[in-house]
Amino acid sequence: MSITGNIPSELGLDCRWETKNGSMWLTPEALDVRRMAAFMRWHGARFITITAMQLPGTQTIRMDYHWDLDGELLTFTTQAADNRIAAISDLCEAAGWVEREIHEYFAVDFDGQEYEPLLLRAGDPVGINLHKEDE
Amino acid sequence: MSYRVPIGPYHPALEEPYKFEMICDGETVRDAKLHIGFNFRGIEHLAEQRNYVQVIALMERVCGICSNTHTLSICQALERLAGVTPPPRALYIRVIMAELERLHSHVLWAGIAGKLIGFKTMFMSCFAMREKIMDALEAISGNRVNYSMNRVGGVNRDIGDPQSVLAAVNALERDVNHTVIPVFAANRSAMARCAGVGVLTSEQAKAWGVVGPTARASGLPQDIRRAAPYAAYAEMTFSVPVETAGDVRARLVVRALEILESCRIIRQALMNLPAGDWRGPEEEVEIPKGTALSRVEGPRGEVLYSVTADGENDTPQRVHVRTPTYANMPSVRLMLLGAQLADAPLIQASIDPCYSCTDR
Repeated sequence: MSITGNIPSELGLDCRWETKNGSMWLTPEALDVRRMAAFMRWHGARFITITAMQLPGTQTIRMDYHWDLDGELLTFTTQAADNRIAAISDLCEAAGWVEREIHEYFAVDFDGQEYEPLLLRAGDPVGINLHKEDE
Repeated sequence: MSYRVPIGPYHPALEEPYKFEMICDGETVRDAKLHIGFNFRGIEHLAEQRNYVQVIALMERVCGICSNTHTLSICQALERLAGVTPPPRALYIRVIMAELERLHSHVLWAGIAGKLIGFKTMFMSCFAMREKIMDALEAISGNRVNYSMNRVGGVNRDIGDPQSVLAAVNALERDVNHTVIPVFAANRSAMARCAGVGVLTSEQAKAWGVVGPTARASGLPQDIRRAAPYAAYAEMTFSVPVETAGDVRARLVVRALEILESCRIIRQALMNLPAGDWRGPEEEVEIPKGTALSRVEGPRGEVLYSVTADGENDTPQRVHVRTPTYANMPSVRLMLLGAQLADAPLIQASIDPCYSCTDR
């Protein structure tokens, strides 16, 4: 079986890859993002970005981690419970700016990453641009 | 004794507003910190307030150079959600537009690089060459910057006179072979100025998620046109130039060779342009609930769009854009470590940065 096919079992996840709108998605009940990042890096995958999105009518932030493995676009989906999630930027340098930007857009705190302004200036409030308070 | 050199956000050594602070020992850069956000326009927020037609026009304004890349990316994502496939002629026109855009972007950059390495007349030569491509783009689309070519399910305009585009591409190829290639690939002064400067190893490039010509100049053969073909790229024959030195010279050579490959792709697409419809569905395309991803190899590298629709409203729930400079810019710090202070403008320019894209 290919590396991609083995990923769910290697990471101990309770789900399989689904092809949605032309790319592959993994949506486990719970995802250890640090284990995922270490595993993907070990297998030579290239980190692309994280798409954060506030789920409608809630304060929950969906987090889609996008990777490229030999040209295949792979996405792991999880949620930032209580607006917190583990940082992966110490395992995957490419995630540094992405985590800082998501903190600024959605006020998601990344455990293990000390916040440093990216698009905002020091002292500007975070969580205004894309975070919806009234939902 | 170490000292801090702040440059920017507005400075003659920078192409666009951003800031970098370097810690130097004498003339040697020991560390550098980058600050972005001076072009921030909140485009991802605005995208949640626009309908699907307006949002295509909005995303075209993410960048003034690779505007077509952005409309192509978002249209592909919307087509995946809607299950719509554009007609073959539209897919070929998309390839031609994407490669014309790469040509004018790379030639513009060649001019700037020429000026920075001391070949100042090359700047004017490159801009004169680029003008021919801008004229071709204007003849096709009526516009020189925002072409409005892509729509969901097709393109807005046909290429009615392929021969005139072919003539412009042939002329550019001839001029590039006479002007750009000899300087970037073989001139001793240019080699002395750029070889070994601003090195990014392939291990660093991979770890930092670097994309496009910057990655290919560090030995990574990644190109979305080849790895995950879109539009009509699967039907095109082309090479992906790769250099292994990871220095400024390698970035010069990769982009110069890519100009020739783009000419080759455009020629194939024009000669084999399928007959038939190019506009796609006339009726409004319904965008159902879901998330779709789309990747395009822009002039500076991979662009990724993530578009989420709720299937009820005519506005997207979320549009996320990851642009190539956003992926490449953090690696500039690595290129600067140990470099000479005087090389810093050339090193930062060697990734062909676009801050309009980065800040969105």
